[in-house]
Amino acid sequence: MYGEIGNKLVQHAKRTQSLAHLPPYQTEMVRAVTREVRDLDKDVAAILEPFAGSFNPSTEPATACALLVNHLCMRRNKRCLLAYHRVRSDRLEEMCWNGVDVLERQYQQQQNSNRPAGEGDGSSSSLSPEEEEYVRQYSDLLAAYKGQWTDIDLTGSLEPPKDLFIDVRVLKDAGEIQTEYGAITLTKNSQFYVRQGDVERLISQGYLQRLS
Amino acid sequence: MDIDDLLAEVSAGAIPQQQRDLQELTRAWVAERCAPEILEWPENLMGRVLGRIRKQIELVEEQTGDMDAKTNFKLIIVQTELERFKFLVRSFLRARIKKIDAHPHHLLSLLPTNPRLLSPSEQQYLTAHQSLLSAHYAASFLSQFPAPLQKLDDTTGGVSMIDRPDTQSAVFARALRDCEVWSEGGGEGARVRMRRGDVWVVRWGGVRAAVERGDVELI
Repeated sequence: MYGEIGNKLVQHAKRTQSLAHLPPYQTEMVRAVTREVRDLDKDVAAILEPFAGSFNPSTEPATACALLVNHLCMRRNKRCLLAYHRVRSDRLEEMCWNGVDVLERQYQQQQNSNRPAGEGDGSSSSLSPEEEEYVRQYSDLLAAYKGQWTDIDLTGSLEPPKDLFIDVRVLKDAGEIQTEYGAITLTKNSQFYVRQGDVERLISQGYLQRLS
Repeated sequence: MDIDDLLAEVSAGAIPQQQRDLQELTRAWVAERCAPEILEWPENLMGRVLGRIRKQIELVEEQTGDMDAKTNFKLIIVQTELERFKFLVRSFLRARIKKIDAHPHHLLSLLPTNPRLLSPSEQQYLTAHQSLLSAHYAASFLSQFPAPLQKLDDTTGGVSMIDRPDTQSAVFARALRDCEVWSEGGGEGARVRMRRGDVWVVRWGGVRAAVERGDVELI
């Protein structure tokens, strides 16, 4: 009671910041905090009821104090919830910017976790349904914004370019790509000297490795 | 107006527009990355730069078929330059998006008084992203809250929910012309003269006006 679960949620968010992957969504905790807020709100209403709208804080300091604590706790819980969701949505946005297909990965994870357990429960997803929806809409928004800057490639590398051409090693077979100097077939373990702009996508997707 | 200003004007005329644009873009990029607040969208500059990038891309596309060693070499130079320009613009835009995401409500409250702060597409992005976020929060938990607590831009209860950029953070600034800035030194605060070429560490709030006028650049 009084913000304890909210605190746990914030600690969870803090931990999320230093993790490489996104831990599962804490549906239970979020629900518990929301319930706590509703209970507190009911308490406030119950305390105020006998006064019928004519409550004077200076005549009843004890009641006023109780009300204040309840109000502060509700606000605090709200902030905890917002912070928790913000950290997660920030992380999801970052993934969208980096070109990680969050939903695809999500789906694969579920497949993998379902297989050994035989019939895994559907709740092994680390995103809440709301978050999945958010990711979907945010990627649409991002695509729309990016579409206005087709010449720039907004999600491209943020390292200042030094050379036009770079050495890359192929880590996974990526098939044939078209460049302005003709087609290149990327087979595993081969090495190429190619234009950076042509292969940037493949590097971020993990098909190629840049050699320095 | 003294001799320095006159000289500056003469030399500004001698440098071609393209080069001045590059300088301006670089300056805008550095300023955007250093300043805690988002700066005004340089519409004319961006229009010119983007137009030129497009032209260069067309040029490259036209001439790639050419196998002549000379044009080929020239093309590589053009492409290298193109990549650098693209990087500048990309990094500039990303820096702005980051700030837009960090202080959405603050920016929304600024927009009516200063509509030129963001480009139209950035405004679209801001409003769309904000409505997405609030829908997400509402769906996740806020809709089950008591009605008075559902707002996202609440300022009651002594804590404002609107995050603001810290205008008091320190920046490195170099004076391009002699000018006066506000310095907080010694707690009281006073107007101080910066001479051309001086490099100072000052609070952003104190030099903001000078940066917007172009008297001071951030480094």
